[in-house]
Amino acid sequence: MPFLIEHIYEVVSAIVIVVLLGTGALVIMTIARRQRRQRYFRRLDDLRQRYGPIVSSILTQKIEYERGVVLLRGITGMDRDHMLEQLCLEHKPTPDQVPTLRRLCEDLGLVKLWQARLTGRLDVASMRDAVARPEGLIQRVGKLSFLMRAKAADNLGTVQHRPSWRLLVKALDDPHSDVQAVAVRALAAIQEPESFIPLVERLRQVIMRPSSQLSLRTIKTALVSFPLDQMTGLLPSLKDPHRRVRFLATDIIREVVERQAAWEEDFVLDAKAFGSELLECFLEQLAFDENPDVRARSAPVIAFLADPRATPVLLTLLEDGQWFVRLHAVRALAKRKFLSQAPQVARRLTDSHWMVRESAARALLVFGRVGSEQLAAHLLSTEDRYSREQIADEMQRAGLIPALLAQYGAEREGSGERVIDMLIQMGKTSYLVWALETSPELELRKKFLITYGQEPDPQIRSWVNRVASQDVDPALRTLAGELIRIPNRQGEA
Amino acid sequence: MEEWRQIFYHAMNMFNVLIVSYFFVANGTYSLLMIISLVSVWLHNRRLGYLSLDELRESPVTPPATILIPAWNEQDVIVESVRSILRTDYPNLEVVVIDDGSTDESLKRLINSFRLIKMDLIYRPRLATKAIRGIYVNPRIPNLLVVSKDNGGKPDALNVGINICRTPYFCTLDADCILERDALLRLMRPIVKAPQNTVASGGIVRILNGCEVKDGKVVKVGMPKGVVERFQVVEYLRSFLFGRTGWDLLGGTLIVSGAFAVFHRETVVEAGGFLHDTVTEDMDLIVQIHRWAMHHKRKIKMCFTSDPVCWTECPAHIRMLGRQRRRWQMGLCQTLWKSSEMLFNSKYGVIGLLSFPFHLYVEALGSVVEFLGYFMVPLALIFGMVPVPLFILFVVLSLVYGSFLSVGSVLLEELTYRRYPSFRDLMILLVYAVLENIGYRQVVLYYRVQGVFKFVSGFRQWEKVTHVGAAP
Repeated sequence: MPFLIEHIYEVVSAIVIVVLLGTGALVIMTIARRQRRQRYFRRLDDLRQRYGPIVSSILTQKIEYERGVVLLRGITGMDRDHMLEQLCLEHKPTPDQVPTLRRLCEDLGLVKLWQARLTGRLDVASMRDAVARPEGLIQRVGKLSFLMRAKAADNLGTVQHRPSWRLLVKALDDPHSDVQAVAVRALAAIQEPESFIPLVERLRQVIMRPSSQLSLRTIKTALVSFPLDQMTGLLPSLKDPHRRVRFLATDIIREVVERQAAWEEDFVLDAKAFGSELLECFLEQLAFDENPDVRARSAPVIAFLADPRATPVLLTLLEDGQWFVRLHAVRALAKRKFLSQAPQVARRLTDSHWMVRESAARALLVFGRVGSEQLAAHLLSTEDRYSREQIADEMQRAGLIPALLAQYGAEREGSGERVIDMLIQMGKTSYLVWALETSPELELRKKFLITYGQEPDPQIRSWVNRVASQDVDPALRTLAGELIRIPNRQGEA
Repeated sequence: MEEWRQIFYHAMNMFNVLIVSYFFVANGTYSLLMIISLVSVWLHNRRLGYLSLDELRESPVTPPATILIPAWNEQDVIVESVRSILRTDYPNLEVVVIDDGSTDESLKRLINSFRLIKMDLIYRPRLATKAIRGIYVNPRIPNLLVVSKDNGGKPDALNVGINICRTPYFCTLDADCILERDALLRLMRPIVKAPQNTVASGGIVRILNGCEVKDGKVVKVGMPKGVVERFQVVEYLRSFLFGRTGWDLLGGTLIVSGAFAVFHRETVVEAGGFLHDTVTEDMDLIVQIHRWAMHHKRKIKMCFTSDPVCWTECPAHIRMLGRQRRRWQMGLCQTLWKSSEMLFNSKYGVIGLLSFPFHLYVEALGSVVEFLGYFMVPLALIFGMVPVPLFILFVVLSLVYGSFLSVGSVLLEELTYRRYPSFRDLMILLVYAVLENIGYRQVVLYYRVQGVFKFVSGFRQWEKVTHVGAAP
């Protein structure tokens, strides 16, 4: 039948009716959804109240494990598994609770269920559970989807179920990237030594295939969570002909070493802890790699090596042609054990790249008094304006100005005064003036007023004015007043 | 006379075709976006069950980020805002507040509250900005830095922040916004997890009015009392939950709210930073980055995620709403106008072929078409060009369709985040979703048309919107 303009009424009316019905349906769905969620949360809250304390008591070993499990088995209903999962995994377990939680999940049949879901198999119980869940039909579809597989992998990782590691390695080839990513994370949580190599292989695959669904950061995060003694597994990658593979392998080891160093005081890496092959690789190969990224990332590791070749290698990297290699070398040397290398670090204060200059200044501050003195000496001796600016910047950021002023106040003649002279010349007076204003030392203010009271710097001028009008000490007020009346140095000039 | 009559009839017919086509294009696209978003947001919400934030929080691989807070005369909120932002759950976080030449006590209060000291630090201006007056730091709070500068507007303040910031990513945040503790982690997740180079990530902005705030944190979510505010709650849900989600899924993100978004610093610098020639610097930057990426043959991604939440105060009075909407519309027109080379340009992919034309035809020019429709269609009715029953049917259809879309967004909210826990609030949302198209829509349309005319007349000024003070 041809479409006639006369039909437009019918067509528009039909559309209006359909849209009206659609709107009504959406309203009903919204209200129904709210009611279902309320029922669901009421049931969950009820179970939480009744069984939550039992789960906590089992995990904290306040009740006998067997008795607790019997009580939890009392949970019935179509959604039993789901509710048990909610109760057991509601809170992140502490490391010492994980073994008990794992055993609990095994005994309640949850682990088996998750394994079945991860492999895509569905048992009767999970189907029952699917029907009973408030999401109804959508949820049933969801059961078969990647959502269920990913959640199962996540749960296995949370309870660190070691026997499941093979399933998780298989899940790295899951068609959905979410399942792959969660499996990577779960493997990192389980830390099964045998799973390290498949993860390293996956890292290589992702680098070689940029179209991969997995992000490099995901795999890298997983690999850095493995313990130091696993790092020998990265040796083939450190020798890989692909420069990015070498770079990422080096960077992963760097992360692991730095994490370990943060935990252990006076951390050193000897051949026993690190493996002689790795140690040699860093000292002989990676520090001289053609890829500057590799050289840069090798520096922090070399800094922890207990080997006489380490410091000379680091000093070589400190003179590298690439600025970011020098940057990493300076940062690596920022440890008190390298105090004797302070002059070499100080040389980098005149580096052509500001980030290296900045890191050198910060590294010197890590060396404590010796480093601060080096910094001050360099500030006074260098002709390099950028280097001076950088030092002044770091002295301020590190909050050294009050200490500098105190030193100036205490000494008759010395480097303190010369540094202050320099800072005033450079116009870096804001912090100085603040430190003076907040200092309770009358003598210090007086000395500063006498020495610098006629400086043309606007901040110092306004400070002198404030002293003249507001200082608690009348003698100081008078002195400042006299200085104001004398034309300042700039005026004289 | 007859000839003029024919011309008039012809013009009226043309306009009727235009309004009907606009109706179908706009509602068709919105319906499509709604369907896509229903699936996408629901799936994303389900994925949150296993997308752990712990991994991101504890991983040394998570990149450091800086939150940039441009502030101009924000003395009432700035201290609490900064305090709250410093508590943000993110490893390696820095906060930079840029006082854009405030004439009130914003800077003084910051200095006193955080015991800041003026320091003469190095400032490397990679992006040209107005002069810096001072940089304030407390060595004991090394991750907070306050910069005072000459007034130059929000884009200028943000550019100063970019110059100062040292991290690879920065997050822009309005001073009167409240960030949920884990919002930045959530916003960074797509950047960290995406295999592609993600240079911008936007989150959802929700309305703070009606919520209870304690210690810079939203402790109870509720519906505001004012009618204008309630309509805006529905509007924001629609705009964020299915507008932006839908475009994100199609790969056509053209707007990321500058009130709360993360950007890759180097990309922004290379794209020229925030420019001053539009009044909506956030959308302008996104479009600029798209153009830069195309010209430099860079493969980039921008994304929108619906779970990171930032709470913001919306205008409580109709006059303030007018100022806000005029500015938004004017900014939209300015941005689209200056980037007209993108229109139907296949080199920009979905952006050039779908998103840009949609924003131009439906969001920018559509307001004028719709507005004129309110006059022209009745005129056609008076002249007997449209039968009365058909006219009534079309009016009913347009109202009902608008309600359908708004109710859809409420359903989407209910299916996913359910931020409004009380049943009463849900019912209010539904009622306002149904009523939004009767009265409120027309008022907003009027302001949008004003925005278009301001753009045409070359008006450039930023109209300041003042709030009643719910935050923080």
